[in-house]
Amino acid sequence: MTSELEKQITAILAEVIEMDEAELWEKRNQRFVEDLDVDSMLALEILAILEKKYRIEIPEENILDLVSLQSTIDFVDRKLKQRVA
Amino acid sequence: MLNFEDVRRLLPQGHPFIFIDRVLEFEAKRRIVCLKNVTGGEYYFPGHFPEVGIMPGALIGEAISQAAILLFRLSEEAQAGQNGRIFLVGTTRTRFISPVFPGDTLLITVEVVKLFSRSAIVTGRVELEGRLVVKSTLTFSAVSLADVKKSRRVGTPERVAQEVSR
Repeated sequence: MTSELEKQITAILAEVIEMDEAELWEKRNQRFVEDLDVDSMLALEILAILEKKYRIEIPEENILDLVSLQSTIDFVDRKLKQRVA
Repeated sequence: MLNFEDVRRLLPQGHPFIFIDRVLEFEAKRRIVCLKNVTGGEYYFPGHFPEVGIMPGALIGEAISQAAILLFRLSEEAQAGQNGRIFLVGTTRTRFISPVFPGDTLLITVEVVKLFSRSAIVTGRVELEGRLVVKSTLTFSAVSLADVKKSRRVGTPERVAQEVSR
């Protein structure tokens, strides 16, 4: 983990899916549902927490962009850059 | 605003599993405030506990869930809703701050955090005489009763016998 965003999102997601931060970071390219036993309800919870924390709007259909830790970090990064632009 | 008969009509649960007595305030898709009078005659007090009656935390959580169901049912009624659905809690984060005893009157406030097409995240706060006693965040999913019945595990008599004999 290098950037502050990576650290923050890893910590948030690790708490929600009850996994050690370092382990989740190692598995950052693994898929939540298929590989890490995250169910659809937890995925919705993650979406709502990220919206609140970063004050961004994530439409429900974007849940398909949040398939792994890495894709979630990339998605939030893009959203934050769009907001600044 | 709504009395117990209205509550009973709207909730999928029945006696003795209704933990809301009245609805005091309601804003469609946003917020609901409900009231629950906890009486010494509730069926669970003789067992929880024999020495001193305390309302089980799980049932206070159920009261929050029922307030959330009423919020969604009333919101649907406000805009021509759907029937034949029940609401299942998927995740819950709950803090029980102080116990609830016979004679207490609970004010249960549920607010929507985020609505999805078939799910919702809500926060629940239970107050007793102005003091917070339970706070909770719930994720719900609305599913059809028919789908729940289809997914129910059914054991044949032979299978039950096998499981018992193990």
